[in-house]
Amino acid sequence: MKSRQLLLTALTIGLLGLSCGAGAYDGDWKRGRVYYRSVCTACHAAQAGGSIAPSTMTKAQWDSYLQADKHAKGKDSLKQYVGKAYRASIRSQNKAAEKFSDVPDDDMFEDIKAFVIKGAKDGDAPASCS
Amino acid sequence: MKTSSFTHLARCRVRRAALLAAVLLGGAIQGGHALAARAESTADHSKFKELQQAFSSGPEVTQACLNCHTEASKQVHRTKHWTWEFLNPANDQRLGKKNVINNFCISVPSNYPFCTSCHVGYGWKDASFDFKSEANVDCLVCHDTTGSYRKLPGLAGHPPYQDTEIPPGSGKIARAVDLTKVAQKVGRTSRDTCGACHFFGGGGDGVKHGDMDSSLAAPDKELDVHMDATGLDFTCGTCHRTSSHDIPGSRYTPVARDTEGAHVPGREDRSLPATCPACHGQTPHKGNGPAAKLNDHTDTVACQTCHIPAIARGGVATKMSWDWSTAGQLGPDGKAMMKKDGDGRVIYDSKKGDFVLGENVIPDYAWFNGDVTYTLLGDKVDKNDAVTRINTLGGSAGDGRSLIWPMKVFHGVQPYDPVNRTLVTPHTAGNDDTAYWRNFGWEKAIDAGMSVSGASFSGKVDFIKTEMSWPITHMVAPKEQAVRCGECHSKGGRLERIEGIYIPGRDGNRLIDLLGWLMAGGALAGALIHGGLRLLRRDA
Repeated sequence: MKSRQLLLTALTIGLLGLSCGAGAYDGDWKRGRVYYRSVCTACHAAQAGGSIAPSTMTKAQWDSYLQADKHAKGKDSLKQYVGKAYRASIRSQNKAAEKFSDVPDDDMFEDIKAFVIKGAKDGDAPASCS
Repeated sequence: MKTSSFTHLARCRVRRAALLAAVLLGGAIQGGHALAARAESTADHSKFKELQQAFSSGPEVTQACLNCHTEASKQVHRTKHWTWEFLNPANDQRLGKKNVINNFCISVPSNYPFCTSCHVGYGWKDASFDFKSEANVDCLVCHDTTGSYRKLPGLAGHPPYQDTEIPPGSGKIARAVDLTKVAQKVGRTSRDTCGACHFFGGGGDGVKHGDMDSSLAAPDKELDVHMDATGLDFTCGTCHRTSSHDIPGSRYTPVARDTEGAHVPGREDRSLPATCPACHGQTPHKGNGPAAKLNDHTDTVACQTCHIPAIARGGVATKMSWDWSTAGQLGPDGKAMMKKDGDGRVIYDSKKGDFVLGENVIPDYAWFNGDVTYTLLGDKVDKNDAVTRINTLGGSAGDGRSLIWPMKVFHGVQPYDPVNRTLVTPHTAGNDDTAYWRNFGWEKAIDAGMSVSGASFSGKVDFIKTEMSWPITHMVAPKEQAVRCGECHSKGGRLERIEGIYIPGRDGNRLIDLLGWLMAGGALAGALIHGGLRLLRRDA
């Protein structure tokens, strides 16, 4: 019984550590801005018929869009275009992908989220694509 | 029984292992983030008890900052960013934003609550502002890293402490700043913090400078090789290396020609760090041949002349002229109006008059030696002059101190007093009955403004043509986009109006050119004839 309590306590501590650790990373909106503009916008402008300014959606809309993790109307995952593998695939042609090649996937995603939330229509500083 | 004991022991071990793994996993993730945080800064301000409180005003935050940074406010008090005043030792002119008149929004006095949204302080709403108050220094405007801190026009340097509609009646709400969040996230200055004011000088994005606008917040290499956000990523402070809050690089006494070598860490050097030679030295082009030829230019041409091929290259238009004389026209509904061009840029505003905007503008070029003389309030002006210079930049080919610099020359038509023959300081911004942007009456507005300035006003208003020069130094293009030789070394080229110097390709005399070609042709012919004769003689 004692050991079960000990285990539960330990798991609680561990999970708390996990959640605190996850929560401790505050998205770097400036890094997110560079990635959004140099990778997302650059590709959208060249291949997807136009870029999407952060200020075209509200914070809530961005939040739900990012949570849904659906890119190109659900054809693929949004996180795929933020991940290290994707960055590695374009780093020879894209300086932002090259510069941020070692940033952990989750951090990069949080960075972009911080930028679009800040630049949303109702955000602290509505932002354009460029 | 033995089996049961063994099983129990095994379970305990598994649980202990799980326990250890769980604790280590959580700790490891936390530790990873702590490491990342340490790599960026030596202090996490959110851990300071002084900042773990709800702040109701900016000065309260400053008081908390001063608990540790005991000398910061005193240092700021000694800077132009605080005093908005500067005594030019070269000519004893009392300058600074507080004193100069320009041909953009014209002047600060009587418009304090609006202009001082770009002051590094809180509460400068009139001439009674307490310049000795340490709590009035605004730490956050320069050290915010959240991008959420902002000061609104009309609040005398304060950020909004509650949700505020701006402009009043517009329906646009500027949300209250979370002072605690901003205070706990302070850090080094950045292009964003400096740019919050310097990108928006003259009343809007890119309006004033032409080489500074919001496109520099996160530029690519094409726009600025140094600030390239995916490359060198310079901040403003990389060149404007600051000591004790004093930021080098003055527009009132700029260094037009830096004859010092590159700065070397450890070597005593009192020259300005914000010049190109401060890093690149006097022979910046490496190699022989063409590079050596380019290095021959550095005693004549500023680096900026070749390496900043155009003004406003980042997609944000800059104002090239401003005509206040057409202000005050109202729309059919009797209300102030705006007109926009095809790109959606405002080219007429009832409050301000007509504008001409430009992008990728070829600069003007002039000799510049760093001397700047302003036309100040009280100086006599004459409408019969072709133009009144708001600032006159010194320089000539022969003074040994000048280089050829690129300039943004801004043209204005602004109100003046035709009886006293002086420029004027109108009261433009405000909700009172004398503010021009409210009542559209120049006489009342100028009378109120001149009263605050302590200057006499005849009551008569006319308009005068003015000109203001801005040496260009930001938005440095990649070398592949530098100005080509032929753009200056040609007739009608960029340096067509530069006097006092012989520029091959631009300058010439037909007779001398003909003589030169005849000599060259003669020499060639002589060589050919000589060689031909020798060949013939050998055969013989």
